[in-house]
Amino acid sequence: MATATATMPTTGRVRKTKGRVLVDWLTTTDHKKIGYLYLITSFTYFIIAGIMALVIRAQLAAPGLQIVATKEQYNQLFTMHGTIMLLMFATPLFAAFANILMPVQIGAPDVAFPRLNAIAYWFYFFGSFIAVAGFFTPQGAASFGWFAYAPLSSTTFSPGLGGDLWVFGLALSGFGTIMGGVNFITTVLTMRAPGMTMWRLPIFTWNTLVTSILIIMCFPPLAAALFALGADRKFGAHIFDPANGGPMLWQHLFWFFGHPEVYILALPFFGIVSEIFPVFSRKPIFGYKTLVYATIAIAALSMTVWAHHMYVTGSVLLPFFAFTTMLIAVPTGVKVFNWIGTLWRGSVTFETPMLFSLGFLMTFIFGGLTGVILASPALDFHLSDSYFVVAHFHYVVFGTVVFAMFAGIYFWYPKMTGKMLNERLGKIHFWLLFFGFHLTFLIQHWLGVMGMPRRYATYLPEDGFTWMNQLSTAGSVLLALSMIPFLWNVYITARKGAKVTLNDPWGYGRSLEWATGTPFPRHNFTSIPRVRSESPAFDLNHPEHAAPEAKASAKKD
Amino acid sequence: MLSKRRTKWAVLPVATALVLFLSGCSDLELRGYLPGYTDGFVTNHTERVTNLWVYSWVVLLVVGIIAWGLMAWAMIVYRRRKGQTDLPPQLRYNMPIETLFTVIPLVLVVAFFAYTVRDMGAIEQPVNSEYKIQVVAKQWSWDFNYVNENTFDSGIQSQFVGQKGSEAGLPVLYLPVGKTVEIDLNSRDVIHSFWVIDFLYKKDMIPGVNNKMFFTPERVGVYKGRCAELCGEFHSMMLFKVKVVSPAEYATHMADLKARGNNGQLGLDYVRNQNLPGDNPAASEG
Repeated sequence: MATATATMPTTGRVRKTKGRVLVDWLTTTDHKKIGYLYLITSFTYFIIAGIMALVIRAQLAAPGLQIVATKEQYNQLFTMHGTIMLLMFATPLFAAFANILMPVQIGAPDVAFPRLNAIAYWFYFFGSFIAVAGFFTPQGAASFGWFAYAPLSSTTFSPGLGGDLWVFGLALSGFGTIMGGVNFITTVLTMRAPGMTMWRLPIFTWNTLVTSILIIMCFPPLAAALFALGADRKFGAHIFDPANGGPMLWQHLFWFFGHPEVYILALPFFGIVSEIFPVFSRKPIFGYKTLVYATIAIAALSMTVWAHHMYVTGSVLLPFFAFTTMLIAVPTGVKVFNWIGTLWRGSVTFETPMLFSLGFLMTFIFGGLTGVILASPALDFHLSDSYFVVAHFHYVVFGTVVFAMFAGIYFWYPKMTGKMLNERLGKIHFWLLFFGFHLTFLIQHWLGVMGMPRRYATYLPEDGFTWMNQLSTAGSVLLALSMIPFLWNVYITARKGAKVTLNDPWGYGRSLEWATGTPFPRHNFTSIPRVRSESPAFDLNHPEHAAPEAKASAKKD
Repeated sequence: MLSKRRTKWAVLPVATALVLFLSGCSDLELRGYLPGYTDGFVTNHTERVTNLWVYSWVVLLVVGIIAWGLMAWAMIVYRRRKGQTDLPPQLRYNMPIETLFTVIPLVLVVAFFAYTVRDMGAIEQPVNSEYKIQVVAKQWSWDFNYVNENTFDSGIQSQFVGQKGSEAGLPVLYLPVGKTVEIDLNSRDVIHSFWVIDFLYKKDMIPGVNNKMFFTPERVGVYKGRCAELCGEFHSMMLFKVKVVSPAEYATHMADLKARGNNGQLGLDYVRNQNLPGDNPAASEG
């Protein structure tokens, strides 16, 4: 980790010895540096879990293959693929973007609790490492699936040390996430610059606030459940025994965390694209307040839908959970139409961040449609635990997190490093990723409808799944290849990229980060422009097109 | 923008293409790729599920095409032209439109919910059934207890190692065609899930929980079944088959099982969760 962090450009500083740079990064409490640490660590986990996915796809390329020596190892791979992607990549990636951007967007010099921020990162760092370290134990990592259903996750059925490391590693890392949530909420509520009212917060900051509230509501139950499972495994407690209804208790506790978690992953990335669409459409976000209300509605509803993961258990009130789940489609649809409304009658250009955002929107719409299908128990009875579900959540989660992550990286790269990533390589990256993704996951809808269950290490030649799996595997190779132009882009930009000194290199930036130096100065601002709307940087640079309230206030001065 | 005259010219080829496309649809496509057969529905629930599936998809795809279409339209028509330097009108709100795209989805959702409630109510409705069968899941196969006839069949996991033909060794659940059936679903160890693909239905088998499913098999045939909930290393080997046969053939099979000495039931006396670690923590720490 340390060697990777040392390659982050530290433009405009006096050259230091390597040891000093290392100590500086290890002891930093600067929100931007902690954000970069989060970004690099979570991206590393993205690559690791992506390689696991490639092995999984290779194993499924034909019936009866033995790419991994045992089916137990296959179970470890998909368990850790899911665990890493959700809890070590996507969730900390939220912390990365929130740390880097949110204080700048509200005009603050840092977060409210910088040292808590640092310890949150290190909890995440060591907790994740502990969970993944199962691979270094004799029986390997946890293999009971990322939702660790009881009693499969008990020591009777999963005796390995990997399971213990998984439980306690995630508990530790979860505390880091909770601390991050507390920190972000306090920062947004107490550290806004003069003039930055709540209704002038950029959408990304709004979504950071709402996501953080979700975190402090649903991560503590997860921590409690994990410690209870740990007590079962290590101290012979009987909390999740079948004799006292343990399997259903675990499912309720897990999904009470697990479903809001999906929105913890989605909302910040909705925020990222909500920042990008206006800039490249040269229009303000369409229906700002509606979008905020929609975000709040999604977050509130997301706390009431957890049992839609449990329709086939026969132990939940189907109509209630079906209705709340379907209702989520309404605010989500509002968001989609607000984004389209932002493009509408705009002046749209297709720089790499915009391409990724549009790729997100296209993919996400389809993930939303299949989500509505799955919300209906009558249809979910057939589709639950099939590849249809796998395809659905990859459309939603990959479509949101990965597309929006790259959109955000290309978009804010000049602010973070002082250099622009290469546009040509960025476009090659996008198209490879886009086709690779859809080639991999679109066909999986059909696989699921035809009857392929998820988490199967192999299937029979008689099942007729072979060509579909091969298509999916081919797509995953293309998807993996798309990382090469990106990593090459980062490398050559660091080596040869031209320095950017403009505050707003894209020309139509709106929120406060585009009104300060490139890259960010140490304490974010040397001066802050007047905040008279949700687009202070735009009002400053294009006063003739400024928001009405900003114009009115300018006249008064 | 298309003028009225040009729109008229566009209608004919589009309509022709649509008719050709729809008439070219095979039975599979008209079922929305759901498993099924041209000569009848597999159980008394599958027609209901298939209809809900197809009509839901039609509505959802219309919504999707509108959304994708608006997106594509915006990208093409409102793209920034070369040499353009001005900015578009800075529109922020349009309440009528925003209300519209809140209310219309809400109406669609309520309608979808109504049909869902109707169908899932019918599927989950307990029926006083003529035949009762207990299926007990175990790592990694199935025991079938034919309660009425007091006989059983015990399965072993799939022996698949890469060649075709391994399906012959799978356990087979026999069901009488046209008779109401109740299946009691139990597990002897971890959570499993009983999924007969062509029945378009699955239900979890949770240790300590008694789940039931009710249906009438309506088509004679052999159908694939799989465990759908991760249950350990050989989850993917936990396969079975369902054979829907005439009541006479069903009776013959019952007699065969009895002739093999399968008298009685392989019930929950063999549950492995009766002596979990923890009663003596010091010993189980080992």
